Amino acid sequence: MHTPDGYLHPWMAGAFLALAGVVLSVAAMRARDSLTEYRIQLFGVVAAAVFAAQLLNWPIPGGTSAHFVGGAFAAIALGPHLGALAVALVVTVQALVFGDGGALALGANVWNMAIVQAYVGYAVYASLVDRSEPLAMVAGGWVGITAAAASASLQLGTAPAFGGELLSVVAVMVGGHAVLGLGEGLLTLVGYRLLARTGVETGERSPVGVRA
Amino acid sequence: MSVRTAADDEWVQRSLAGLTVMVLLAPVFAWAAARVGYSEPMENAAEAAGAASSAVATDVSLLSGYALPGLGPHLGTLGGALLGTALTLALGVGFARLLATES
Repeated sequence: MHTPDGYLHPWMAGAFLALAGVVLSVAAMRARDSLTEYRIQLFGVVAAAVFAAQLLNWPIPGGTSAHFVGGAFAAIALGPHLGALAVALVVTVQALVFGDGGALALGANVWNMAIVQAYVGYAVYASLVDRSEPLAMVAGGWVGITAAAASASLQLGTAPAFGGELLSVVAVMVGGHAVLGLGEGLLTLVGYRLLARTGVETGERSPVGVRA
Repeated sequence: MSVRTAADDEWVQRSLAGLTVMVLLAPVFAWAAARVGYSEPMENAAEAAGAASSAVATDVSLLSGYALPGLGPHLGTLGGALLGTALTLALGVGFARLLATES
């Protein structure tokens, strides 16, 4: 879901860069008081795990493949603010070090994958967790990635490069990610369980994110 | 705040082991994905809208892909995965520590 340069109009790319910057600044201000030594280390581990997991391209019969994005996973593990910041760091490294996603489109990619996916995914998780934690994680991952795809498709569908093909872009991207998103949801659950098995739950308690 | 070092925490050691496993798996998954052809919904939408040719490579990035150049596809992917994961881990801890310092 990494938008390359050339797809978005420069004004749109600039607008999303500013928008993402504002949201992440607020997230940083709200989250920084919760950063104990334990959570500092957890932030680095979760960000690195999201980066590594995004490299694992799962082959899907029929001639395609998909990878875990991890916005909901990071938000559930760290809380939504630190989760968004962690994925933003990953997306930035991917763009500026590995050329995955455009430099001009960095703000749009951060907006979609770090902000929309993390906050929407966490909101869904939080609304369902009292009923069933596994269901909440799967739903959070699934709805989060679909919302991120919807956001990206709105950006692309209104861009000149896509010739105003808004409906077809939305249909392809949202439809595709709604199906692939089931895998995102399941991997969100598996990723969280694996993280918990490392012994995170025996660490320092935190008011949000991974519970101990 | 704990005065223990990160290496003393068992969960950190297990997490680093998990990250290592994912890094080692990266070339395997890259090979498997290449066998079926990598195509994301965004690429499919760009093809359908005739926008695929509008994409331009980012020329400010240090590398042009996840495989380190000169090492071949498998070893290069392993190197890229190791570099990216270690860099993200270091930047993540550094950023969070800086943020905590400012609070």
